[in-house]
Amino acid sequence: MLTVPTANAAETRANQTFDALLWALSRPGMPRDIAPDAEVAIIDALIDRECKVYCADPVLMPHILKAGALLSDPTTADHAFLGKLIDVNVLEYLRAGTDLYPDDGATVVANAQIGAGQLLRISGPGIDGSLQINIDGLPQGFWTKRADCLRYPMGFDIFLIDGGRVIGLPRSTQIEVL
Amino acid sequence: MSLKTLTRDWEPMSYGFLDASAKRELRRKMLKAVAVPGCQMPYASREVPMARGWGTGGLQVSLTLINPKTCVKVIDQGADDSVNAASIRSFLAKVSGAPTTLDTLKADLIQSRHRIPEEVLREDQVLVLQVPNPEPLRSVQPNMSIARQMHADADYGRMWLQLYEQIVRSGRIMQGASYPSMVNGRHVMTPSPIPRWDVPKLNMAKHLTILSAGREKRIFAVPPFTRVEPLVFDDVPYKVEDHANLTCYRSGVRGLFMNEIPQEDGSSTHEVSDSEYGVKVIRRADGDDTVLGKTWYENGEMSS
Repeated sequence: MLTVPTANAAETRANQTFDALLWALSRPGMPRDIAPDAEVAIIDALIDRECKVYCADPVLMPHILKAGALLSDPTTADHAFLGKLIDVNVLEYLRAGTDLYPDDGATVVANAQIGAGQLLRISGPGIDGSLQINIDGLPQGFWTKRADCLRYPMGFDIFLIDGGRVIGLPRSTQIEVL
Repeated sequence: MSLKTLTRDWEPMSYGFLDASAKRELRRKMLKAVAVPGCQMPYASREVPMARGWGTGGLQVSLTLINPKTCVKVIDQGADDSVNAASIRSFLAKVSGAPTTLDTLKADLIQSRHRIPEEVLREDQVLVLQVPNPEPLRSVQPNMSIARQMHADADYGRMWLQLYEQIVRSGRIMQGASYPSMVNGRHVMTPSPIPRWDVPKLNMAKHLTILSAGREKRIFAVPPFTRVEPLVFDDVPYKVEDHANLTCYRSGVRGLFMNEIPQEDGSSTHEVSDSEYGVKVIRRADGDDTVLGKTWYENGEMSS
């Protein structure tokens, strides 16, 4: 090996996207910049033939199929792209893993508006004390339903996308609706 | 649709050695590891051109995170110049073109074996620890299926018993490295074989720590601002190594973790284990304007 391999465009993009996701999940509630087409970037960085994906947003479907993922319903999917969420009940069906294998819990990507709407106080790992954020664009009762579905360490991890920004809300985060 | 649209251009080697699918799998698992702090997540652990048990787990995490702008530091027992650290560092640079450094303050990504640097890590830094044995319960439960069930049940009674037995037999807790620690009040993890000295550095730290065991194929993480509490009894406080009064014979540094160097006459001298910190102190004494970061410990006491 004499030449250093150079990062191609796809690799650079996937690396940056994952950097944003890891940063966002490590610091819940703090927005992080991500590619403008965030959901497509997330698909490119995370999804391949080993994944089962539930996709509620028809726009993303071609990208998921191109990645080679198996389309499935929410009960078996390891990644769920919910798009603009309308029915909160879908959270009930998402995979939460088991106490033995919490990693089987789903990764959820949904659209929301950051910095407007419902005021939340969040605390838990990754947060120095507690943090207040405003989240809008999610259906009524979303946070109650989330709390009902999680029994730590079982649960799912949520990425909320607002244009070119992402916030991560892992299952370890406690969310209080103010 | 043509073959061209379905395939990627030929490359002599993937950027960062690991192929794209290996990286995606690691990314998915790293996210889960961060979501459940301290819980061991199984992952595929690909082949890398290094023997298992020599830091392949940490290497795979570094290879996934690395990009041409990531400044990399690799240490082994605190030293940047040991064979293991030097080879991993040169490998990382060769397959990624990333700049390398020895200075903790300049690094973005720090891969380490058995030590956490003495200078306080910032929120933009990531620490990757190489883990030989990720299972803290192995000494009390060799069957890993049962151990997994014990983690699921938060059944850590035997861990306490093991520590109690050490106190009864030896008068003190003998566990020197890999001190079992409770993460986020739920999962007991091994912090990798770092000395007791380094465990408090993980508690409510500003940086993200990822621990990866390549041979054992498990990955776990400590996000920033996460509680990491060594298992201790109420009446037997946690004790770090008593290095407060030792002085490094080379740099004159006091109150940091030291390596003991036996002498021919039976006595011993000490040198600071975080070798680059010692080097920086010497440079500074020589008149260079070297920047020394704030250290976690001052005069042998955790400052924070």
